[in-house]
Amino acid sequence: MITSRSTDFSKTTLGLDPPVALGLMAALVFFLISGAIGYLNLQALRDGNLSITHSHDVIVALDELLSSAQDAETGQRGFLLTNNERYLEPYNAAVRAIPPKLNEIEQLTLDNPAQRPRIAALRQDVDAKLAELRETIELRRGNGLDAAVAIVNSDRGKQAMDAVRAQLSAMAGEEARLRIQRLADMENAQKTALATSWMSGLLGILLTAAIGFLMRRATLARRTEEWLQSGQVGLAAATMGDQPIEKLGNSILEFLARYVGAVAGAIFVDKGDAYRRTSTYGVPQGATVLEQFKERESLLGQVAADRQIMVVGEIPEGYLTFGSALGQHSPRHLAIVPASVDEAVNSVVELGFLQPVDDRVVALLEEAAGAVAIAVRSAKYRQDLQDLLEETQRQAEELQTQSEELRVSNEELEEQGRALKESQSRLEQQQVELEQTNSQLEEQAQQLESQRDDLEQVNASVQLKARELEQASRYKSDFLANMSHELRTPLNSSLILAKLLADNPEDNLTAEQIKYAQTIQSSGNDLLNLINDILDLSKIEAGHVEIRPEAVAIERLTDNLKQLFQPLAGDKQLGFTIDISANVPPAIETDPQRVEQVLKNLLSNAFKFTETGLVKLTISRAGDDQLAFAVSDTGVGIAEEQQRRVFEAFHQADSTISRKYGGTGLGLSISRQLARLLGGSIDLKSQQGRGSTFTVMIPVVYDPAKVSSREVENATPSLPASSLTDMPRPAPAPHKLEDDRGVPPDERRILLVIEDDDTFAGILRDLSRDMGFRALVAPTAEEALELAKAFMPNAIVLDVGLPDESGLSVLDRLKRDVRTRHIPIHVISAGDHAETAYSLGAVGYELKPVKREQLVEVLQGLETRLSQRVHRVLIVEDDPVQREAVAKLLRSLDVETVTAGTAAECLKLLKELTFDCMVLDLSLPDASGYSLLETLSHEDAYSFPPVIVYTGRELAADDEQRLRRYSKSIIIKGAKSPERLLDEVSLFLHQVISELPDEQQRMIRKARHRDALLEGRRILVVEDDVRNVYALTNVLEPRGAIVEIARNGKEALAVLEKTANDPGETDLVLMDVMMPVMDGLTATREIRKNPQWKKLPIIALTAKAMPDDQQRCIDAGANDYMAKPLDVEKLLSLVRVWMPK
Amino acid sequence: MSETHPSEKVEDLEIRLLLEALYVRYHYDFRDYSSASIKRRLRQAREQMGFASFTALQERVMHEPTVLPRLLRYLTVQVSEMFRDPPYFRAIREKVVPHLKTYPSLKVWVAGCSNGEELYSLVILFREEGLEERTIFYATDINQEALHTAETGIFALDRVQLFTENHRKSGGRSSLSDYYQAAYGRAQFDKTLRRNVVFSDHSLVTDAVFGEMHLISCRNVLIYFNRGLQDRALGLFGDSLIRKGFLGLGAKESLRFSHNAGAFEEFVREEKIYQKRAA
Repeated sequence: MITSRSTDFSKTTLGLDPPVALGLMAALVFFLISGAIGYLNLQALRDGNLSITHSHDVIVALDELLSSAQDAETGQRGFLLTNNERYLEPYNAAVRAIPPKLNEIEQLTLDNPAQRPRIAALRQDVDAKLAELRETIELRRGNGLDAAVAIVNSDRGKQAMDAVRAQLSAMAGEEARLRIQRLADMENAQKTALATSWMSGLLGILLTAAIGFLMRRATLARRTEEWLQSGQVGLAAATMGDQPIEKLGNSILEFLARYVGAVAGAIFVDKGDAYRRTSTYGVPQGATVLEQFKERESLLGQVAADRQIMVVGEIPEGYLTFGSALGQHSPRHLAIVPASVDEAVNSVVELGFLQPVDDRVVALLEEAAGAVAIAVRSAKYRQDLQDLLEETQRQAEELQTQSEELRVSNEELEEQGRALKESQSRLEQQQVELEQTNSQLEEQAQQLESQRDDLEQVNASVQLKARELEQASRYKSDFLANMSHELRTPLNSSLILAKLLADNPEDNLTAEQIKYAQTIQSSGNDLLNLINDILDLSKIEAGHVEIRPEAVAIERLTDNLKQLFQPLAGDKQLGFTIDISANVPPAIETDPQRVEQVLKNLLSNAFKFTETGLVKLTISRAGDDQLAFAVSDTGVGIAEEQQRRVFEAFHQADSTISRKYGGTGLGLSISRQLARLLGGSIDLKSQQGRGSTFTVMIPVVYDPAKVSSREVENATPSLPASSLTDMPRPAPAPHKLEDDRGVPPDERRILLVIEDDDTFAGILRDLSRDMGFRALVAPTAEEALELAKAFMPNAIVLDVGLPDESGLSVLDRLKRDVRTRHIPIHVISAGDHAETAYSLGAVGYELKPVKREQLVEVLQGLETRLSQRVHRVLIVEDDPVQREAVAKLLRSLDVETVTAGTAAECLKLLKELTFDCMVLDLSLPDASGYSLLETLSHEDAYSFPPVIVYTGRELAADDEQRLRRYSKSIIIKGAKSPERLLDEVSLFLHQVISELPDEQQRMIRKARHRDALLEGRRILVVEDDVRNVYALTNVLEPRGAIVEIARNGKEALAVLEKTANDPGETDLVLMDVMMPVMDGLTATREIRKNPQWKKLPIIALTAKAMPDDQQRCIDAGANDYMAKPLDVEKLLSLVRVWMPK
Repeated sequence: MSETHPSEKVEDLEIRLLLEALYVRYHYDFRDYSSASIKRRLRQAREQMGFASFTALQERVMHEPTVLPRLLRYLTVQVSEMFRDPPYFRAIREKVVPHLKTYPSLKVWVAGCSNGEELYSLVILFREEGLEERTIFYATDINQEALHTAETGIFALDRVQLFTENHRKSGGRSSLSDYYQAAYGRAQFDKTLRRNVVFSDHSLVTDAVFGEMHLISCRNVLIYFNRGLQDRALGLFGDSLIRKGFLGLGAKESLRFSHNAGAFEEFVREEKIYQKRAA
């Protein structure tokens, strides 16, 4: 709009303002007119001049004519006198000159009618004179002098001559009059010319002044116009883009205030119900600035209602009741501008000035108002659009949700339909089947009938069998009874005879013989008891024991028992008491013989197994209908796992018991069966070494219906003795110390503190925060490694003593990982591992306790370490085209690229230069990429930058695994690989090793290739699991170690013995803990017993991960431990750490 | 909808309490699910499970853990089809796979795998593109039952027609029938497809990052979440992806209004495939 207006302008006025153009035109006209006047004046003067000259010419011509006439007369007279022709010459010349002269005069006087008659007369007079002259001359010639003189004397000539003179003088007089008149005319003309010159000069000056004034005014106007225009352009620029309304307000205010020199400002936007403040400019925080207003509220509202700009001047200082937003800032002048578009105000801008607001500013603000209004309206539209879009998105999601749900119900319906169909077809099928079944049933019915017949037959035979069985059982019982009888009879006699012998009534036996006899007797007794017991048991089992219930007085029962056992107690010097609770009924109904048998059995057992203390029988009531007979002793007791088994036939708590205490082991079994037959039970409470209590429960009244059938013994297999293996390792105690890991990333450098002591970690954390680090704290190795990988800290402070793993191994793992190996690590430890730490790549080492100043130094040292330099990348690729392409690609990253086509070239370069990163193709003409990497990792001579493998091959999982050891970034060539290569390289370059002093560089290099450490070293692997052995061998042997294998502790010791004096003594032992023959802990202890092996490093490998398990390894003498399953990297680190240097 | 019936208010309260109870008792967090949808589904559950009120339903669920799976079946929408929205899979195949081919090994996470249709689609696609061997797929869902279904890989045979059509449209290079065996009205997908799949219970609402992924496909899951929860889930995806990793969303889902929009850039705009930014 603005530009189109300016082009119109230039077209209509040729780039001039209209007043200036008008002035210029007036000047033009003026000059034209004054020129014309001058010209006319000049013309008049020249005319006058010409006519004067003309008059003069006429007079001169008249004079010449006269003189010619006189010359002719003179010549005539001379000739007349002398008759000499020579005197005729003037006459001849005059005769020739006169006619043209006359013509000339006639011509010159043509304009003057008054002269014309005179010319004619003159012509006659001249002709007459000339005729008289010619006549006289002719006469003189012919007639001589006298004739001629006569004519002369006739005065004819004189008269003619006089007439000529008169005519000439009349004409001259006329001309003289004319000349005078013309001179006068010229005088007048000169005067006029002078006057007009003066006049035009004056006018010219006036005109110039006027034009000058107009031009100045036009320039000023244009300048204002330009200012306004550039203001509008600036405003347009400020409101450009999709700014939200607040940002827009800020942009508008910033621009306007700066452009018009306002010191403060606020913008209010119509939000429907009121105008709300969206932005302020130059208003200090906390100033009470109006938040919103309604129409006609305060000046702002008034302005909004009036749609008129308002300028308020000279606000007095501290004039705060003004109702303006800017009161506090107290600007001296205010401009309040309503911004409206389409006749509607949508925002109000208020600006505060220190100087008065001039018209120019007002004009600008007026013009800007429209633009502001449009911008605000667009912003509002945009906002609305954004809201609508969001709403649309929400609705779209809701719709999708509903459609998903619909699909679900649809699917469910389909599923149900399907199920219905299925069940229908199933029904049909069932019907068919039913029919079939029906016919089958009929068939079966027939079959059944025949089967019934068969069954009856079988039944009969079964009954027969049952009878036979019964008989057999009886036979068995009879056999047993008979057999026992048959056994008993000879036994009896031998017992008696043995007794007789032992008594030695005739005193003829040696003491030894007596002893033999006693032995025979006691063995016989044992045999007899055994036979009795077997008989009892078989009787019970065969159901041949009859229970004969009768009323039994408790007192009588106990009396019997007391009588029986009191002497025994006396013999063994044991206490024996019988307690009867008050609530025990005086008599019960049961089989007294059996009860007594059970109690006797239990009591005799109790006495048998008790050396000191007492045996007690306690009778109490248990429940309503049961009595409990508890026999307790203070004997050897029964181990828990044995308790179930003592009731089994031929079982005793310990197989050695029978030898020590005698007995058949059937007693308890019989007791239990008897108790069962009585409708009760026996149970056992015992603790090894503390005695046992057998409790017999017997019903107060015997009820055959309650007798349980014989239970299946040992239905439940005993628990395996060892099920407490491989408990999961408890998670480390939750990390309590608060750190900055939750803090959003900022510019601060990250320091990772690896320390399990909360107090010290807290000190380090606070200190590092003070020094401007973002501090992370990890109390365990595991967490530390995670954090290191997750946060890529700029520096690490590491404690060696960590709960889960040695700090040195953490150091090693961090330094092995390409991602973390550039991180400077400072080790702080209570033990002296300085040498190891340095060789592993630590940048510093501090021995605990550490003073605060030392810590400050450590952190400062780390801080200074973090600096940058120029990057260099090595590209190893055999194909020259590809090589150049990659180099070209990488040069776009602003790095120096060096290329190598072969492995040899690459090695040479790595020997000479250091690189920040290396891009490696796996297929090279002289060696494979793998072997190149292997070489690099083994040889100290080469620097080993981070490697990006860039290969055309697809990699098998183990290939990748192999490569991962050296390179964390592997790119398979393909359509998108250049893009990724670029990306990965730039990533590496942004986190490369910072500059280190030479010595430490060397140290690091040594640490990095310390697989050399394993070269030729002898490692003894003590492990029974074949797979583990294989795995360990596979890990260690490729690294040059010599692996020896022992399958258990014993073998390990043997191997150590054997090699003890060899030159290739074992350097390190990996000891499994759980092994057959001799376990790892025992083996370790054995090894440590030999002073020669006091320092032999032993690493225990344990599947148990409980902290006390690990402690046990250390206590046994292991240097370190590692939890299974084995992590190869971790294991190698550990081996490197402990391998003697 | 605008007039609030008193009973409706009570219902809202009951729903809120029920969801809270589910969270505290069973750690299933539906509290930030999109409220309109959850309300509909709970209503359906209440009606079909035969409870008079949500309070009654809650009472039962609190005391009988066995009721939970039934309720979960209503709360989680288990519906999809193989190669659903074929252009999405075509875009994965044509635009994303070339990038993935530059990695020697890959991890793909199908978040909210439901009955496994999307998972099997991706596995088949990867196999066709020769990437399956080097890929580990993680299929996660909160619904154990669905996970189990996914693990069996059995789908109704009549759906397979649609799957086949979709597969063809997605640019499939082989016949879908190479991957399943039909019998008894069902199609069982080849178990070798599950060779590289890890099925696991994982909640986008409560659980955290479990690995570095190259591709995350999470389609029509976020629509059930409210904005806050969507942000959480997207944040989780952002943290799980490697630099320049890919995220695929459902057709009606968008990153545009999320706080995490800045972490991603549009990769295939019309198919809602995003790429994590490098920084």
